[in-house]
Amino acid sequence: MARIGVFVCHCGENIAGTVDCPKVVESMMHIPGVVHAVDYKYMCSDPGQRMVRDAIREHKLTGVVVAACSPRMHEPTFRRACAEAGLNPFLCEISNIREHCSWVHEKSEATTQKAIDLVRVMVEKVKRNRELQPISVPVTKTALVLGGGIAGIQAALDIANCGHKVVLVEREPSIGGHMAQLSETFPTLDCSQCIMTPRMVEVAQNENITLYTYSELESLDGFIGNFKAKIRMKARSVDMNLCTGCGSCYQKCPQKKIPSEFNTGLGTRTAIYTPFLQAVPNKPVIDRDNCLYFKKGVCKLCEKVCPTKAIKYDQQDEIVEVDVGAVVVATGYNVLNTGFFPEYGYGKYKDVITGLQFERLASASGPTSGEIRRPSDGKVPETVVFVACSGSRDPAKGLPYCSKVCCMYTAKHAMLYKHKMHEGKAYIFYMDIRAGGKMYEEFVRRAVEEDGVNYVRGRVSRIYEEDGQLVVKGADTLLGGMPLEIKADLVVLATAMVASPGAEELAQKLHVSYDAYKFISEAHPKLRPVETNTAGVFVAGACQAPKDIPETVAQASGAASKVLQLFSKPELMREPVVAVVNRTAPPLFSTCVGCFLCEKACPYQAIGREEIKARDGKVLKVVAKVNAGLCQGCGTCVALCRSKSIDLQGFTNEQIFAEIMAL
Amino acid sequence: MEELKNKVRELLKAGTVQAVIGYRAGSDEKTARVAFVRQPDEADGLILDPRCTDNLAVYLLKPEVKLLGKLAIVARPTTARTILQLASENQLADGQVIVLGVSADGKAVVELASFEALEKFVGQVPAGLTEEEKVLLAKIEGMSREERWAFWQSEFARCIKCYACRAACPMCYCSRCIVESNQPQWIPVSPHDEGNLEWHLVRAMHLAGRCLNCGFCAKACPMGIPLNLLTQRLAEEAKAAFGAVAGGSATGEYALSMFKADDKEGFIR
Repeated sequence: MARIGVFVCHCGENIAGTVDCPKVVESMMHIPGVVHAVDYKYMCSDPGQRMVRDAIREHKLTGVVVAACSPRMHEPTFRRACAEAGLNPFLCEISNIREHCSWVHEKSEATTQKAIDLVRVMVEKVKRNRELQPISVPVTKTALVLGGGIAGIQAALDIANCGHKVVLVEREPSIGGHMAQLSETFPTLDCSQCIMTPRMVEVAQNENITLYTYSELESLDGFIGNFKAKIRMKARSVDMNLCTGCGSCYQKCPQKKIPSEFNTGLGTRTAIYTPFLQAVPNKPVIDRDNCLYFKKGVCKLCEKVCPTKAIKYDQQDEIVEVDVGAVVVATGYNVLNTGFFPEYGYGKYKDVITGLQFERLASASGPTSGEIRRPSDGKVPETVVFVACSGSRDPAKGLPYCSKVCCMYTAKHAMLYKHKMHEGKAYIFYMDIRAGGKMYEEFVRRAVEEDGVNYVRGRVSRIYEEDGQLVVKGADTLLGGMPLEIKADLVVLATAMVASPGAEELAQKLHVSYDAYKFISEAHPKLRPVETNTAGVFVAGACQAPKDIPETVAQASGAASKVLQLFSKPELMREPVVAVVNRTAPPLFSTCVGCFLCEKACPYQAIGREEIKARDGKVLKVVAKVNAGLCQGCGTCVALCRSKSIDLQGFTNEQIFAEIMAL
Repeated sequence: MEELKNKVRELLKAGTVQAVIGYRAGSDEKTARVAFVRQPDEADGLILDPRCTDNLAVYLLKPEVKLLGKLAIVARPTTARTILQLASENQLADGQVIVLGVSADGKAVVELASFEALEKFVGQVPAGLTEEEKVLLAKIEGMSREERWAFWQSEFARCIKCYACRAACPMCYCSRCIVESNQPQWIPVSPHDEGNLEWHLVRAMHLAGRCLNCGFCAKACPMGIPLNLLTQRLAEEAKAAFGAVAGGSATGEYALSMFKADDKEGFIR
């Protein structure tokens, strides 16, 4: 006969405020099998836990139900307490009467009754709980880092410098990401490339880091500590071992008019190219969509000039498979392009540009070598209008969130412009100034007070071209909404930060959740900001939400420390919530009939086959077998199995059925 | 007909198979029964005419039949499709059974020793409902939700839980059916309205996308419940949603155990 103890927590006022806890305790005593029931103000506190431990010993409990908050909160706490008192921790269950009851209902009889029902149901489950032992799984101490921007670089270096192997995958031909594109960085105005490129070189030289550029994740299988990643190395058409990065090929390439991605379309590149001079690796790729040879079968100039015969037109995409223990997603962001805004000309005005394009104009490595010249005619603009919140914080445009960095970089842009064009006029249309951060507010004040940037609080309703200039129509809300019209030579839109292209597909490959804007969701917004809901997959940088460089670096180091924590032990203990195939008496041996439909249904490829043999070695039957290391306990196989031959430990059909029938 | 008998004699004489599953005359003019022919001279009793509609594939997986040795089976197209479906569910191995395929018109008999040959044989033979069944299905489809519920309620009310439908179904090959599980007792034992409904819904769901519409379940039902309409309707759903048709190939994938990125998600709103 079961001897169950029920412990009802008040959670201060959180539960007791709406649920009559003593009444819950009272009603428990009438349930057969319950030998002890008690309520307490804070069950998770030390005295509360002691109550559980003492009751286990005193009443010889065979099962424990704690009616409290979500099991995600304190299940480990109470299971540990049970284990300390000698009870198998898996004989302890949590009945969630806080999130599922007290927090979502008013104080009433019915609320208390619901709490009683929830606890009663769990008592029926615990009666059928079995002792389970945790499963230990080995950990592959190699990390996969997706994305070679500052977030990925930081995480990769942190992990590699602790002596672990890192596989860094970057989609573009070079690492560096968006940070390599920036001119100066706020609030110190130090040159982005100057602080970035040494890091990139460090990555290339670190012997613990294997770098795959021009590559993408094809698939990720497995589970924490034991992932199998397939990486597609896109055909570079250049043999990386032979190429010395001399640059003869791109100097000779006749296709010179291709808009450069690195220069945000403001400059051009050749068909065989490295994105920028400081690229890592400094070895080119052939853009097959624009290469004359691939388009028309003629040319082959690069092959002729290459001194090391490194050009390989017949190179194919290659898939490499790596075993990794953890994954850091650091795939970054994108910015909306100007074509998104009908009121600002749908992108048809050449001199309406994005903030990222302005970065390239202001950058010493940019298409104008750092001189700010407008794209249409190369004229140095005398008046520049900056429009903050272009797209961001605009529910009408479907982007209600704040892009976070625009206030700061717009101030920086205006400042950079004023530093180069002392006579020029800079206007910033803004909604609010969000300058929270060390030295940030001071930076904005400096733009206003020292550099004489005109801040106009209001939004821009329309931009149109007139006599070779852009007419910016807006309103100054601090002057009672006074209409304002500014004739500008250049307009810079601080367009919203959005998820990078393919973010959704990537999240699906990784089995991590993402929000409505395709930003990857963290496991807990406050307490688990670098973990995703998939164990072993961590997140860093702007693929999670818009953020600036210091925050990104901090988060990347945070993610790296989580990876290192995982790598600090040789084995990982896992909850034994896994599926098992049953065994029965002969002649069946198992009720599994071996249809193996579960094999295909399993999302984790955890189901294989097993021969049941007689003593003489004769195969009596072939049945399904679950690899406990791979199984994630999702229960898909259990639902699919027609003969109910497969069951989930800790959540057996019998337990769930008993719970439902108790209601 | 003689062709079939000769083939059977030949297979048994040569020892290629130890038994042939076929049809013999029943107790009256209208019925045919299963015949397990184990001696060459017993082949004389075999028949092949319009009475022979039962899906003989159901016998292939019975443990006592398996003990007979290697088997050959007389198979109309539906039976042939059943064999392929069983193969796709790992219940039959290639070459385990010799299929004596009967053409749709019931005349020609071909020996099909491999699944590949079987796949070609069933190739373009359309599977579907009889005219009678089509009329009834159209009638049910035409009903309102409430009427349809009432219709099936009244049909299931007659069920006596004899499980003849299960015994007749070649796809019900579990060694322990869910109704025999009592921890938990998923389906109540005695025949009453609720338990009957549970049984028939579970049966239909277990056959969703796997039913070959041989109609054997409905024919076996002593209470005359048109059971195959349920499973056949689900087969249509599976076809419409996933393009899945049961029994087309020995390596076919079961729509309900598969996930594909382009699966329809019409149910998510």
